[in-house]
Amino acid sequence: MLSRVANNLFWMDRYMERSYGLLNLIITNYNSTLDSGDYSSWNGILKTYMNIDSLEDLYEYDDAISIIDFMLFDELNPNTLINIIKKSRENARGVQEHISKEVWLSSNKFYLNISDRLIRKKFRRSDPIVFLEDLLNFNLMYYSNADLTQERGNAFGFMNLGKYYERTLQSVDFLSYRFNDLTKNDYALQESVFWKNLLLSIGGYQIYLKTYKSIFNVNNIVELISLNEFFPRSIKYSLRKLSVHVSLLNKYNNKIDNELLFHVKKLDNYVGYSSIESINEIELGTFLEKIKSDLNHIYSLITKTYFSQLY
Amino acid sequence: MDSSTFSDKLIDFPYEHYKNTWDEMFEPNNRIKPSYRFLYNFLSKQSVSEINKLKEFSLKFFMNQGITFNVYSDEQSIEKIFPFDIIPRIIMNKDWEIIEKGIIQRITALNLFLKDIYNEQFIIKDKVFPIELVANNPYFLNQMRGFKPPKDIYTHISGVDIIRNNKGDFYVLEDNLRTPSGVCYMLENRQISRRLYPSIMPKKKIKDVSNYPQILYQQLASLSNKKNPTIVLLTPGLYNSAYYEHSTLARLMGVELVEGRDLLMDNNKVFMKTSKGLEKVDIIYRRVDDDFLDPISFNQSSVLGVPGILEAYKKRNVIITNAPGTGVADDKASYIYVPQIIKYYLNEEPILKNIETYQLENSEHFDYVKKNITSHVIKKTDGSGGYGMLMGNSADDIEIEKYFYKIKKNPSNFIAQPILNLSTSPCILNESMEPRCVDFRPYAIYGAEGIKVCPGGLTRVALKKNSLVVNSSQGGGSKDTWVI
Repeated sequence: MLSRVANNLFWMDRYMERSYGLLNLIITNYNSTLDSGDYSSWNGILKTYMNIDSLEDLYEYDDAISIIDFMLFDELNPNTLINIIKKSRENARGVQEHISKEVWLSSNKFYLNISDRLIRKKFRRSDPIVFLEDLLNFNLMYYSNADLTQERGNAFGFMNLGKYYERTLQSVDFLSYRFNDLTKNDYALQESVFWKNLLLSIGGYQIYLKTYKSIFNVNNIVELISLNEFFPRSIKYSLRKLSVHVSLLNKYNNKIDNELLFHVKKLDNYVGYSSIESINEIELGTFLEKIKSDLNHIYSLITKTYFSQLY
Repeated sequence: MDSSTFSDKLIDFPYEHYKNTWDEMFEPNNRIKPSYRFLYNFLSKQSVSEINKLKEFSLKFFMNQGITFNVYSDEQSIEKIFPFDIIPRIIMNKDWEIIEKGIIQRITALNLFLKDIYNEQFIIKDKVFPIELVANNPYFLNQMRGFKPPKDIYTHISGVDIIRNNKGDFYVLEDNLRTPSGVCYMLENRQISRRLYPSIMPKKKIKDVSNYPQILYQQLASLSNKKNPTIVLLTPGLYNSAYYEHSTLARLMGVELVEGRDLLMDNNKVFMKTSKGLEKVDIIYRRVDDDFLDPISFNQSSVLGVPGILEAYKKRNVIITNAPGTGVADDKASYIYVPQIIKYYLNEEPILKNIETYQLENSEHFDYVKKNITSHVIKKTDGSGGYGMLMGNSADDIEIEKYFYKIKKNPSNFIAQPILNLSTSPCILNESMEPRCVDFRPYAIYGAEGIKVCPGGLTRVALKKNSLVVNSSQGGGSKDTWVI
């Protein structure tokens, strides 16, 4: 497979995964503001996902609907949903010969839907949650089409590489910026609504209840999101998948030099042998920082190994 | 909802022919031609709203599949669909056989011409073809002198533009021997027709066009002596207006779609950069013009091509299709000589006619055209895409005067042809049928096993009323073409 194509496939799925995370986050945060009326919760999201320092930079957006409108449709901010989907679809357009027709069609339909001239009007007229869930369905369609129709091989490998790389990064980011809330808002510990929404926004509410019943505390949440091997958005789970796909790609491409695999496995093991106690010992912030810096290194190795080799 | 049937509508709004024009479906008295009766019967039974639904369906089909081309305006690129008209154009097999034979004859002769012109130049020595047309031709590539491409084939893929005059006779308008585009619309139009006419299509034994990519692959592979040569399709990239076509052909042939930056030269061999490492390339089906192919040999500022690729080609380490330099045989000045070329190399009469063409450097021709400008069109010999033409029947005096001023500066750059009334075919417009001008581009593929012409092609439509310009960039659309 061409290196350029591999790179496109990687980014196609990275952006798709990012859009999925973003939509989930918007839905649950909106849901939570319905209960609390606390708009400051948008600050963290805008900062992490839109690179905007505070709501004051967006003075014309002073209610949840306008903020969501901005995060979905603003053409100028490169991190809004419409721009992420455009980029994912642009990458897909460049690799149509390597993805199944179904994957291409679901990407294109997502793009056509969100770039429809009337979509903003439609948003203003709809119930936001219904509207956002409809958008989320495009993600689900994309994932199921990829799962059901994409040939297992190089292309699938690079798609998953992008998907799980992005997911690991997202879960790390999620914990980092929620970490402040977790420690500062002691009062919130009493409020089950806060916890529920927090877990819902990363899709971990049900698995949390099953694992820890209704006892909410910081340790359990950190443990779930970083170390639970059955939770598909946990750091541990995503890293394991990342390492599986790196191994497969190495095999498909006859790579003998295993520097990339070495570092992915090393990080995988580091998280694998961590416990909530060991995390607390070094503090969550340090733990997350280490993962993040390792991920950066892994990305440069992915690029070096597959996307821009030196000849 | 309009529940009146389409035939009611046609009674209220009868088909209005263009003046003195051959219509593909209707006789001048509005009787339906026999070849179209089954189709007309089907359409006339539908209600107007059903016809609208078919139209909408086809629009959505193209949009959802992402079958688009890029248009550039104000530095912004917009993706547009190539408008599709749901009424197919029908060509009877007996007519098709003539077209097919005619194309094979032309392409055979033009290949012999290219081989001759780049080698011994007998045709010039025998004074059949003027030397000036070679010497002054920007498409003539000195780099190709003395080089014979594999199997002596230059034009592996060609698309010959054919039109019909007011008597229904077929004429060749242009031989596109460089990188003719549009073939994916031939394929996609058939896909949509299958969905639009499930009840009538299977009964009609329409000749299949869907194996075009397989034939193309086999013909390309046949050029190499290797058993399983590595073939790639070279595209200028995502922002090229024909990108969708490049990607579709690559997908359907199962070959890599590469850009110049994916290729690299080593020791006069071409390699592509893959996730495995470097992989040698044997055959390049390029959709990049000669000028941009190799910044060392041609346009130095090109970033689309691969530096040194021409050298690799001449050392026979890679095969490039179409061969560089074929433009010398399909520009508008050489076109005039095609009948002589056929006669010279094959000793045959041309099966397909040429349109009478005047060379404006010839003073008699010049005077004649100037006098009769209202019935003539003037074209630049190196123009394409319908740009830079003067339509004598619609231009005003000032435009004509300005244009002739340009001609006088460099008359050998211009030719003139009588304005033909292109045949019309009915289109669904304004919920009724209206005639619109059409042309026809069948595709021929030349490989070691000879020339194969795909039985069908792209029918392009000038969707603006009374317009003759069918180009997609200027308000053209397309139709499926059924050879029955």
